Amino acid sequence: MNIILSIMREDTFWKILLFIHFLLAVGLLAGVTLQAAAVLMPARQVAGKFIDRGPVPTASYAPLIAVLYVLQALMGAWIYIKYRTYVRIPMEELRHFWTVGSFEFKEHIVAMGLGLLPAYWYFWQQPYSAEHAAVRRWVTIFLALTVWYSFIVGHVANDFRGVGS
Amino acid sequence: MTQTLEVREGFAQLASTGGAPASTAQTGARFGTFAITFGIAFPLLYTAFERLNWPLFTYHPVLGNLDFWRQNAGVGPPMFWYGWIALAIPTALVVALAATVISKQWLSRGTVFCCALAAFWPASLTGLRIFIVDWATFDADFLNSVWVAAIPAFVGAAVITYYVPVRWAERVWTSWLLIAPIGGLAVLGYSLLQPWFLR
Repeated sequence: MNIILSIMREDTFWKILLFIHFLLAVGLLAGVTLQAAAVLMPARQVAGKFIDRGPVPTASYAPLIAVLYVLQALMGAWIYIKYRTYVRIPMEELRHFWTVGSFEFKEHIVAMGLGLLPAYWYFWQQPYSAEHAAVRRWVTIFLALTVWYSFIVGHVANDFRGVGS
Repeated sequence: MTQTLEVREGFAQLASTGGAPASTAQTGARFGTFAITFGIAFPLLYTAFERLNWPLFTYHPVLGNLDFWRQNAGVGPPMFWYGWIALAIPTALVVALAATVISKQWLSRGTVFCCALAAFWPASLTGLRIFIVDWATFDADFLNSVWVAAIPAFVGAAVITYYVPVRWAERVWTSWLLIAPIGGLAVLGYSLLQPWFLR
């Protein structure tokens, strides 16, 4: 850490981390949204034995989404240190209570998503279990909602004091 | 929509190599039990630890200090979130590992008991606090304790578990995977109303 801070300013370092967090978020958002859309609109059986395959290979996205989710949570946990001292205190002083509260809720929603990851990964193992079709769908949608919520709230917090603000 | 998904899943099953060996299937089922139980236990434990403010450690970001358990005092704001997660993960792991060695019947009954307990415990504590403030005609402050609230919560959860049919408990077992985090988020979200959203 000290070596990095000897070659760049501390602010620059945190902004780079925040930007990487943003890039990972975009990747995760894309993957989880496509998968959620695919489970909500599955492939149709058009005629006879032929199945109109969906454009998204949903199962192959699952390990990538799980890995990205964990990486994002770790990255967010690291940046959270800076948020707590450098962003949240002025946010409270300027009475941006809704933003603080939404960010507090983001911590909880991310934690809940993390807890679901082993089950999510299990449900997307092939061959799929027909018994778990409904719970697989809803777990995927829940994860997508956690990612979307975190992205939006993180973006609002960034606008308050972050990259480009 | 469900039918099309099932058709697709049926094809995926046909595409597999005609049935995995029994030991592989058993390992897969065990991992499934582990993963689903972890997914149910983690949100319940995380919510409980957050509400009770029981972090495994406290991080003080200004000095970069790490203190065991809860330490409010120090330079700058204390951070508990890491500590709640760090405590919820190993405890949920222990619960999930225990789930892999008990029968399915006991597992589904145990899940109903724990989820009922998670609902009754805070409800009972809230009820006791209302009683102390609005109803009690004596000094009932000794009732304002999570451990006193635990008694009616345990009794209520045991009664519910006794009367819930085993078949129903087994059928809805995976549903707890969504009920637990959503319920946890409802509790945690409610706790944020007063300090932030209604300020």
